[in-house]
Amino acid sequence: MERLELLAPAGDLERLKFSFLYGADAVYCAGKKYGLRANADNFTMEEMEEGVKFAHSLGKKVYITVNILFHEEETNGLDDYLQALDKIGVDAIIASDILVIKRAKELGLSLEVHVSTQASILNKEAALFYKNLGVTRVVLAREASLEDIKEIKRATGLEIECFVHGAMCTSFSGRCVLSNYCTRRDSNRGGCAQICRWMFSMDGVEFPFSMTPKDLNLIQYINDMIEAGVNSFKVEGRMRGIYYIATVILVYRRVIDLVLRKKLRESDIEYYLNILNRVANRESTAQFIDKLPGKNEQYFLGREEVSNQDFLGLVLSYDEEKSLATIEERNYFKVGDMVQFFGPNIETFNYKVEEIFDENNEKIEVANHPKMIIKLKVNTKLHPYDMMRIKVFDKPKHL
Amino acid sequence: MLVEEKMKTNKFLVVVTEEDFLDLKVKNVNFLFPILGYSVGFLKTFPITEVKVPHAYLYINRILDHEGIESLKKDLLLINENIEGICFTDLGVIQVVKDLGLSLQLFYMQNHSTTNVESINYYLEYVDSVLVSTDITQEEIYTILDKVNKPLLVPYFSLVDAMYSRRRLLSNFEEEFELEKKCEEILHEPISGNDFRTIENEYGTVFYASKYVDYRSITHDNILYYYINPLGLDKDTLLKVLRGEDRSEKSTTGFLDVKTYYRLKEGEE
Repeated sequence: MERLELLAPAGDLERLKFSFLYGADAVYCAGKKYGLRANADNFTMEEMEEGVKFAHSLGKKVYITVNILFHEEETNGLDDYLQALDKIGVDAIIASDILVIKRAKELGLSLEVHVSTQASILNKEAALFYKNLGVTRVVLAREASLEDIKEIKRATGLEIECFVHGAMCTSFSGRCVLSNYCTRRDSNRGGCAQICRWMFSMDGVEFPFSMTPKDLNLIQYINDMIEAGVNSFKVEGRMRGIYYIATVILVYRRVIDLVLRKKLRESDIEYYLNILNRVANRESTAQFIDKLPGKNEQYFLGREEVSNQDFLGLVLSYDEEKSLATIEERNYFKVGDMVQFFGPNIETFNYKVEEIFDENNEKIEVANHPKMIIKLKVNTKLHPYDMMRIKVFDKPKHL
Repeated sequence: MLVEEKMKTNKFLVVVTEEDFLDLKVKNVNFLFPILGYSVGFLKTFPITEVKVPHAYLYINRILDHEGIESLKKDLLLINENIEGICFTDLGVIQVVKDLGLSLQLFYMQNHSTTNVESINYYLEYVDSVLVSTDITQEEIYTILDKVNKPLLVPYFSLVDAMYSRRRLLSNFEEEFELEKKCEEILHEPISGNDFRTIENEYGTVFYASKYVDYRSITHDNILYYYINPLGLDKDTLLKVLRGEDRSEKSTTGFLDVKTYYRLKEGEE
């Protein structure tokens, strides 16, 4: 079997590190230039270099998005930028403009070139077009079905990357300039104002017109996607926080590993779906993988975007002798609460908060200041970067 | 160059959005037919074997999935000899035409990705022409026309697409609220005041900016065809457009003199 990869979003260095710690094999992120999240923090060249070193020290990879559609004024400086990425050891760039693909090849860079989902690839002939330009991987359109994936893989032998989780465009990605018309912000150069999440009106119709899609969630299709030839499972969300990243990446890591060991049960999927649904702020569905999405895959009236406050604390250290965990608080909790610890190197377990100590080892009843340092006596060994959340679902015993 | 002179000396590529356009007795016009099963954003489409007008072009502007492109391979073997070329947006079409050994002109019409000289020149290594983007300024268009390696297609007076979704957005909405089924609607966006003409078929939904972009001021030697999508215009109005008569109340110069931007933070490199 070919190498399988779990690919995580990284909006900054902290999230890059959490992605790797929680099980990602690779991350994708953007520099200060040429990425489609122009208004995110993004990485300086120095930060990218640090991220690459960190990734490579773990045997993992970093991909940089260079996926805007260039206007004439942006083309100056592109060569220098690509050469700098190559020099710091970036493993691949993700490009949509043919200009970037050709330049990268002409410059003789050692980094690989992947074609972005912005290229809307749904058939093998389109994939072959890019293969002939020298790309090694195609990121398929989110509209791809299992049949499309299979055929592209079979005919091209290219590495196939597919989004499996996160927000979606209403349009084919890259085929929308509603933002340009409504706000003058160019969606294909990173300025998208997400007009497809706005409300419209229609003459003679009392209801507002909405076309907002629910999020993508393909956790149930991992096995089918592996069989279809997907090499890289991509999670969307460079603007998301560390709790979301850690939760989603850990779930997909566990599910991919269970599938590979042929030990995934239906009931496991139900548990993991519950976890994913709980961490998200929107509903999610499988969207295009097995059918054309209909009205149930989008929002109309009454869309709720829930702010999740399940993330209670981040483990900073653990004193094995005293069984004492030092934790940075993120959301309110109190003595008597039932919580759950999870992390990349522990089995998720439930825990009842019996006592809370502050930084000076004084007993307190509540942890109610974000980022306050508290201590809990926990008999199970914890590690830095493990997380504590509200206990909502019990983990099946066999997991 | 005056518009009337331009009409005499340049060629127009006109999408057949109304059947009676074919009765137009105007020189220098080639017709572009949205093809049944392979086009989106049009109310009128034509079976591929029924395009019989001399020097016609086929409009295949769907993004094609596996089933779609396999079907296209079969259908392209049935086309008549009058077909001059294909206008397309899915790059897979290039390989299909090559594999079938067809001698057809190929025009790449994905106008959101034809925004700079170098990209266009790369595409021109594989196709005969491309449609210049409607997302860029007049200055950028002239730079492109000055420097590209082959003559291009340039919008003339045309409806241009602002969004293409695989989803059936009108049907979904109508089904949700049990409304009468329609294939076309005008959607109003209240914050910006923009209207979008929206057309759906089984292959997806296209949002058009509701005003026609009027690029008739653009003249250049390196133009192969002036492109016109006259959706919503009748035959007489199209004729007036071709004659250069004013239609300003329904038109805009789009982004010709309006620069878009993408960074919100001032001073960021």
